[in-house]
Amino acid sequence: MTELIESFQFVYGPQMANGLAIGVAVVLMALGLTIIFGLLDVINMAHGEFYALGAYLGLTLVAKGVSFWVCLALVPLIMAAIGYATERALIQRVFHSGDRHTLTLLLTFGLAIIAEDAFRLVYGPNPYKPDAPISGASELLGVMLPNYRLFLIVAGAAIILAVWLVVYRTSLGAMVRASAFDRNMASSLGVPVDKVYAGTFAFGVALAGLSGVLLAPIYSVFPTMGKDFILLAFSVVIVGGMGSIKGAVIAGLVLTQIQSISSLFISPVWSEPLVFGIMVLFLMVRPQGLAGRLGNG
Amino acid sequence: MQQLKLIAAVAAVFLAGQAQAQSTIKIGVVTPLTGTYAGIGQQVKWGIDLAVKEINDKGGILGRKVEAIYEDEEANPNVAVQKAEKLFQVSKVDFLTGTVNSGSTLAVGQVAERNNRLASTTVSYSDAITGDKCSPNMFRVNAKAGMQSEALAEWLVKQKPGGTVYFLGPDYEMGRSTVAAFKDAATKRGLKTVGETFAPLDNKDYSPYFGQIRAAKPQVFYTSVAGNDTVRLLTQMSEFGLTKGMIIVGAAGTITAQNLAAVGKAAEGFVTGVGYTMEIDTPANKKFVGDFKAMWKTDPDLFAVDSYGVVYFYKTAAEKAGSTDTDKVRTAMRGLEWQTPQGKKTMRAGDHQAILDMYAVKIQGGKFKIADKVSGAASVGPDTCTKF
Repeated sequence: MTELIESFQFVYGPQMANGLAIGVAVVLMALGLTIIFGLLDVINMAHGEFYALGAYLGLTLVAKGVSFWVCLALVPLIMAAIGYATERALIQRVFHSGDRHTLTLLLTFGLAIIAEDAFRLVYGPNPYKPDAPISGASELLGVMLPNYRLFLIVAGAAIILAVWLVVYRTSLGAMVRASAFDRNMASSLGVPVDKVYAGTFAFGVALAGLSGVLLAPIYSVFPTMGKDFILLAFSVVIVGGMGSIKGAVIAGLVLTQIQSISSLFISPVWSEPLVFGIMVLFLMVRPQGLAGRLGNG
Repeated sequence: MQQLKLIAAVAAVFLAGQAQAQSTIKIGVVTPLTGTYAGIGQQVKWGIDLAVKEINDKGGILGRKVEAIYEDEEANPNVAVQKAEKLFQVSKVDFLTGTVNSGSTLAVGQVAERNNRLASTTVSYSDAITGDKCSPNMFRVNAKAGMQSEALAEWLVKQKPGGTVYFLGPDYEMGRSTVAAFKDAATKRGLKTVGETFAPLDNKDYSPYFGQIRAAKPQVFYTSVAGNDTVRLLTQMSEFGLTKGMIIVGAAGTITAQNLAAVGKAAEGFVTGVGYTMEIDTPANKKFVGDFKAMWKTDPDLFAVDSYGVVYFYKTAAEKAGSTDTDKVRTAMRGLEWQTPQGKKTMRAGDHQAILDMYAVKIQGGKFKIADKVSGAASVGPDTCTKF
């Protein structure tokens, strides 16, 4: 019995708690991705670089003396403006062409490459590690967890809830969902579809930027950081259902738990292929994912 | 008459040039000057240029001036082979050095054998170069990978005799071989292994492995991750309170000038084994560091000092042989003792591996400080070369 308790305390408990913190981080990344995909039908390959840009912006502002907590509000605002401008200036131009998927994918992929090199030019190739604004660690039921990760879990849950409320419980969210469901019908009912599109893209980008600020103290900041979560986030979006918030949350938490627990039994290198294997399985068996698209639930 | 004078003058200049060319000792340097390893190649060049300048100011080698001729190998063994061939055939260099990655060094060693000329690496770590792939024409003046782990283990066993060690490495060839080498060196000295993990390269989050590490209750934690992986591993361990009371040691490349600032406080107390540190408190090293900074306005690193030393290695050998003839110089190089900023180095005759004192260095106050000196004899390991 004591062995069982000890194995929970030392092995499974921390593993699940850590998995939860990573899961929240992944869901935050997947959220912006899934909203942009669900509404605009655009696969944003530059999402990871928007995440990195958020982290670098936070780093710069903190270095200028702005408090971390102010950055949490300020960076998403700046990022939303950048996102809005990107949508109007670039994505709109290729959005209405026949080959939308290919063109927007290539466009955002190009943006990602430019952004990564721009980070290298401006900030240099070496990593930065901002100090966590909350230090120390707490013990919960014998499981040690750094206080900042506890904060991340709570803050992440609040952000996810807030996003859900905005999309499903406000008239703004109703316009977004209406535009996603039937663009022409929404437009004829007076919804400013173009602005809704740009606004939604800006919202997704702001979420990526916010994740960047939140996660920088844990994962550090460097030019290629955008590639870090993006594959996992794409898997979460595919398994959860492209455009579904509920699906992204469930898929994000389940996949990271699978990854976390499986790394106890198999070589850690194989836990990622396991997750991607699940993604491939979903694409083959249930391509619409756990839940449907943004307009549907 | 006027014309005759002119011809005589031209002839004199021409002959002088000819004599000059004949008497110059040429050292070919095949090193990466562009690409990922350009930073290392730059330090190699700075070190060699400083040594060549010093030697020429004092009359050269055997009364002849020394000239270094550079070729960019782009850290690519195929390019290195072509450039080495060119230096031997066209530039007629007497000695070749500069290769950085171990593949280039091994390939260039074969070119040197074919051309019956001598070469030495000042950077490559792979044990094979002076082990099972040794060559009678290739030497190594820098410490090999095995010496770093031997030096570190030698220091560690003094701190925690019979201590328990947990290993965490990146899951690829270099990561696994460094862990294996250190484990070997540690086990030989009575330290015990209590667990090991190989995490993917560019791993985001190491916390999923912390439960296993905590449960194993190791006294010592060894890692061979590098770059940003080190930043994440050590800062995450420190946030989880895992580093308390544990000795953290690692490979020489785990914490470098590139990531030290980002690792920050979590790097405090980290110990590794190296063949050089600017901290070495000897007149020879202080002079070298001062001259280097005066000439290049930057700090020398390990690669610069070993490359600086290789020029003196050739000088001492050529002067002992009294000639630049390959066979005579090779005989002189075997067993040769020569002075470098790192102290006295001895070239082992059996495998062409230099024996040099190693250092266990510890990060204190954000800087590498010498924790202990480990004699070359204790860290060099047995001679495994069977080719000559």
